[in-house]
Amino acid sequence: MSVLHAAETPPHLAPVAERLREVTVEVGSGEGSGAGILWAPDLVVTNAHVARTASLQVRLADGRCLAAALVAADRRADLALLRVPRTRVALASLADSDMVCVGTLVVALGHPLGLRSMLTAGIVHALGPLSAGGRRWIHADLRVAPGNSGGPLADTAGHVVGLNTMIAGGLALAIPINDVRRFVTATLARSP
Amino acid sequence: MSTVMDLSNALAGAVATAARSVFAVHGRPRLPSTGVLWRPGLVVTASHTVESEREVTLTTPDGQSLAAQVAGRDPGLDIAVLRAEAGAMAVAELAPDADLRVGHLVLALGAGPRASVGIVSALDTRAGRAPSETIAVDLTLYPGFSGGPLVDVLGRVIGIATSGASRHLQWAIRASAVSRLVDHVAQRGRIPRAYLGIGTQPVALPEALRERLGLEQRTAVIVVNVRPDSPAGAGGLIIGDVVLSIADAVIAEPEDIVAALRPERVGQTVTVRIVRGGEPRELRVAVGERPPRG
Repeated sequence: MSVLHAAETPPHLAPVAERLREVTVEVGSGEGSGAGILWAPDLVVTNAHVARTASLQVRLADGRCLAAALVAADRRADLALLRVPRTRVALASLADSDMVCVGTLVVALGHPLGLRSMLTAGIVHALGPLSAGGRRWIHADLRVAPGNSGGPLADTAGHVVGLNTMIAGGLALAIPINDVRRFVTATLARSP
Repeated sequence: MSTVMDLSNALAGAVATAARSVFAVHGRPRLPSTGVLWRPGLVVTASHTVESEREVTLTTPDGQSLAAQVAGRDPGLDIAVLRAEAGAMAVAELAPDADLRVGHLVLALGAGPRASVGIVSALDTRAGRAPSETIAVDLTLYPGFSGGPLVDVLGRVIGIATSGASRHLQWAIRASAVSRLVDHVAQRGRIPRAYLGIGTQPVALPEALRERLGLEQRTAVIVVNVRPDSPAGAGGLIIGDVVLSIADAVIAEPEDIVAALRPERVGQTVTVRIVRGGEPRELRVAVGERPPRG
């Protein structure tokens, strides 16, 4: 955001980018790849449409590749939980997505079109369903592409507010992180 | 980094503030547009989004429906002013017009609220338009944003977004120009429509003629109809005249006449530059007011 006037150093998003890079993984299923979020030392969350097979490859930001097993996938919610060997890594810091407002600055980290760890920035454009009665999305006015799926949408403090899932009308649609949290909690309750 | 978070909170705050004065406007089939409560009882939107024969309804930020009537339009600026009983809704706060500079961060709002962010990319550059009425902005105007407010980082209204013809350049009409139109409605109950009483078609100007007369424009309009007892007829315009400019605004296509005939022109005498029989001429025409419909 070089347009800002600041007394000394201009504010920038580099610290947020670094923080998000550490908690964003690449998820490969043999047929294309997407992104994922490090949820716990042995858990990764991504989209169900990214995790299409029972065994997957997870690549950490430091280049290590881990074998991952699908714990559960909810195709309707488009969410999947993966188990990886326990590693010493930074974990995603989660925001309360009910507190997100239209106009809030947000960033996305992912691997659009196979380009690793790309950061894009924009604002929350709208909150709510695509059509009446549908599920609630965070609509973000920022550039994303295939390969961002499963990756974080975060505020400028680096707290994850949503999981980038699809593109509609030029907007990025993210699943609110509170919905993701409920999915993980319910999944672990069933298969600890 | 706290300053980035401060900016983020400021943008979200600007949206929340401005959204209190924003309506969804149902004045065309399917896609609603956006409107702004400019003064008590007076709502501004984009003229092309409210069809004249349709009843207009508004949806308030808290989901109530209100009936509205078109009180006046300026198709040249693509602004319509509606009357509606908006009760206790907050009237939009306007930003000081003179403060606006290229590079300022701005937000465009749709009803919902929905928002996009960008910068002011140019001022006063639209061809054929009088100065100080338009702002070019670098942001995305999503479907339904027409007629919505362009606001600064404090949520104060800078202008009204119009989607216009181009998908690449986005425009807004400056708040000061919008306020002049709203003043017409508040004082006289309507926006006067300037009127000449001619029908025109576009024509290409021959290279030889352009060179001889030192014209930069490649096209103009040819008069194909002059209404009897019209201001144009009284001013001496006849069928076959090629109109080059009106009141120093270049007329390259018929739409430019609408842009040149602003409400303020009603009652004024303007210079119309024409070519008749290959020779340039200047006529003085007293601009009239279009009689109301019906």
